Amino acid sequence: MPYRDSQLADLVDLGARRGASYADARRVEREYEAVSVRDGEVESVTRSGDRGIGFRVLHHGAWGFAATDRTEDMSLRSVVDEAFARAEAAAGTRAAPVALAQVAPQRGEYRTTLLRDPFAVPLADRIALLRSADANLKGPHAVSRRGSVAAYRTRKHLVTSEGTDVRQEIVESGAGLSVTAVKAGAKPAQRYDSRLVRQAGWEFIDHLDLPGRAARYRDDAEAMLDAPLAAERPTTLVFTPEFLALLVHESCGHPTEADRVLEHEIAFAGTTFMWPTDRGTLRYGSEHVSMTADATVPGGMGTFGWDDDGVPAMRTKLIDRGTFVGYLTSRETAAALDLPVAIGSARAEGWQHFPIVRMVNVSLDPGTQRYDALLRGVDDGLLLEAPASYSLDNKRQNFHFSTQSARVIRNGALEGYARGVSFQSLTPAFWGRCDGVADDWELHGFLSCAKGEPLQLMRVGHGAAHARFRDVPIEVRG
Amino acid sequence: MTVRGRDAMLSPLQYALRDVKADEAELWVRRRRSAISRYAKNEIHQNAVADETHVQARVVVAKAVGIASANSLDPADLRRLVADATAAARESAANDDWPGLTAPAPMPEAQAYDAETARADARSQADAIKRITAAAKERGFRAAGTHQIELNEDALANTNGAAAYAPGTMAYLRALVTSESGTGWAEDLGWSARSLDPSDVAARAIEKAALDRDRMQLPPGDYEAVFEELAVAEVLRFMSLTGLTGETVKDGRSFMAGKFGEQVTGPRFSLWDDALDGRTLAIPFDVEGTPKQRVTLVEGGVAKGVVYDRQSARWFDTRSTGHAADPRRYSVGGHAGNLTMAGGDAKRDQLIRATRRGLLITRFHYTNTPDPKRAAMTGTTRDGTFLIENGRITRALANVRYTMSALDLFSGIELLGPQRLARDWWSSNGMGSIVCLCPPIKVARATITGSSPI
Repeated sequence: MPYRDSQLADLVDLGARRGASYADARRVEREYEAVSVRDGEVESVTRSGDRGIGFRVLHHGAWGFAATDRTEDMSLRSVVDEAFARAEAAAGTRAAPVALAQVAPQRGEYRTTLLRDPFAVPLADRIALLRSADANLKGPHAVSRRGSVAAYRTRKHLVTSEGTDVRQEIVESGAGLSVTAVKAGAKPAQRYDSRLVRQAGWEFIDHLDLPGRAARYRDDAEAMLDAPLAAERPTTLVFTPEFLALLVHESCGHPTEADRVLEHEIAFAGTTFMWPTDRGTLRYGSEHVSMTADATVPGGMGTFGWDDDGVPAMRTKLIDRGTFVGYLTSRETAAALDLPVAIGSARAEGWQHFPIVRMVNVSLDPGTQRYDALLRGVDDGLLLEAPASYSLDNKRQNFHFSTQSARVIRNGALEGYARGVSFQSLTPAFWGRCDGVADDWELHGFLSCAKGEPLQLMRVGHGAAHARFRDVPIEVRG
Repeated sequence: MTVRGRDAMLSPLQYALRDVKADEAELWVRRRRSAISRYAKNEIHQNAVADETHVQARVVVAKAVGIASANSLDPADLRRLVADATAAARESAANDDWPGLTAPAPMPEAQAYDAETARADARSQADAIKRITAAAKERGFRAAGTHQIELNEDALANTNGAAAYAPGTMAYLRALVTSESGTGWAEDLGWSARSLDPSDVAARAIEKAALDRDRMQLPPGDYEAVFEELAVAEVLRFMSLTGLTGETVKDGRSFMAGKFGEQVTGPRFSLWDDALDGRTLAIPFDVEGTPKQRVTLVEGGVAKGVVYDRQSARWFDTRSTGHAADPRRYSVGGHAGNLTMAGGDAKRDQLIRATRRGLLITRFHYTNTPDPKRAAMTGTTRDGTFLIENGRITRALANVRYTMSALDLFSGIELLGPQRLARDWWSSNGMGSIVCLCPPIKVARATITGSSPI
């Protein structure tokens, strides 16, 4: 059944007529195309798409949400009935009605700026690029090699009962590489990256230089097979921006999500150790550590025109020179925490999902010194290149990370590899050890930050530069 | 929730395959209708229902495979989908190891389906939650959690004439109760809403929350331990992902690789995959249309076998065991998602009484594997971690970080309780598809590597 442009307005009008204090309707249409090569052979060429409508009402002080991929009038009427039924059932449990922070009605369009549409790149060119990268993944001990490129397009239209009517078209391009090396008597070594993704066109894939990157991954994996175990002692660690992007995500992005404060996620994702009374006083890290949420960063996977509450993209500080100062908020959570404005962090993965508080682009602010200067300040340490396993507690206060590959730093220069390195820490203790952030800030993108029930996988962005941490206790396992 | 039924799900697929111009073609559809009520601080804060259809076409031209997916069973949309997959196959390159699509086979009946559960409404979900929150409030506590009812309908047809359809339901209720000083967790899971007992869930969670006071930190070290079912399911998850599939054996990453017939863990540990067990949640065929088979994985601690999809079966010149996974979540190579671990008859009290000095673990949060080859797991505990001394729970503990190989943990099994349906943290939150029938266990040694603050 074809989509009528007036369907969303009709749904919202119907919601208002039935007594909802607020209603919104959101149509989302997604396209995805990916090519995967395994061990030099095309493993799959995949195209997918989905479309549907989600309808949300605030009725008797409670939320109700229903969504369908059937857009004929009868199904949509049923969606309205179900959303109201769910709001009414929830209302019977509430002590106080849901309130929303104010936002002026929004109108307009947002489109990703791109040079080359990734969907328009001939499949043969994509396969040729992946085969070229695959050839460079091939080392003497490689037993499994994979490479992929992907293109994503999301069209979204949001209409609310408060007068907001905004349309967005977001295009993303991404790639993944992985190699597993196995050698008798040695622990298997894996080197991979599945987070090479950006809100951009095919020019981002060109920029990645997949063949060159594949050669580095091959060399890392082969070297890790024969690398000696690191020494287990407090060590100066330097992290790549890629590694820090994940650390920022897990240990700052998540605990500053306001719905965790309200215990909305306590039974799944967890809560936080950063409470409202801690704002402005909690020492999160050293004076070198500042972090910012910014939904306006060009190319960011958390960049948009408006969030799914219809709040325009903005920039806000979360950590200011080591002190916790801000939260990621939706209209509901901002009002519940008595904050003056929502900062535009209500996001839903697709049409079938209820918007919840998500990261946008949450980044470690750049420092002022050059990376080589940072490295020169290390007599004896390790450069951790890319995360492997990671595990966090429910407050994001206690974490454990291991690394795919570690380079030895001796007298300010890189020499050889060490293996078996992992570390666990409490979040403020870890960031408190940071004594320098370089100026080589770069953006990374994640496709699948998991949160919410039913699960929602969200795109988020994280910028970071190389940074140095002193006396980090490391664990070493063979 | 209305079940669409065999004809409505399967006929559009068969119709769309009639005129396919390709060597082989397959259509697989999963319809999921999920009604979920989330509550926190004794109030429902999200209450959502979504009905979605995922259709995947695989088309093969000269051993080159094209895959396309969409979310409509409309004939015109299915025609477009098959055409997209065909175009992708023509632009792709041959897979010389292509095993071909499945042939028609007798299909086991769906067992994990309950029509009454499929019809559950928002009011009944809210009523169950109210029973939990009322019990929590009575003690001055607050409750949070989820009530979820899910209806799934899977159908598959291919140009070899294979045709399969099965419905399934899932009912899930969990409660996290928070007191002034701690938290307690309990949950029920089954394919029928009748298997959910809100009062019992509330009582179990409240009991643990009440015990969780005056926490102390446990120094790192090796301890005796009682792992409840959710904690055991978490460990089993990493065995499944790192070692129980044809792909992990092929790549040499599995702890089973080169070890078949050898003792890999303790003699009290036996594990199999059995989607046909009437107690578990399962569709009786996989996403390639192969009937699921029972596969013995480990017996008495001896490595016996792994699961295969059609591709990994081809690599090993064997037959698929019916373990192809949803490609949106798992890569090609097989997936062991209906694990059953042998249990025993020890009651929970017996497990605790058998512990001289150790800890009780209710569940884990955000686990991962720092050493896949050893099926090692690290993760912090939550919502019920207690010190056991001389056979009694004596103190609440701050959450601890556990890091250990599953093989080492299961080598030390001393006692086993009865099996219960449980899922790991990832799977219970939609980030995995592993369901376990597993027992609580008492082990001689669990390695604790850190503690969260009190």
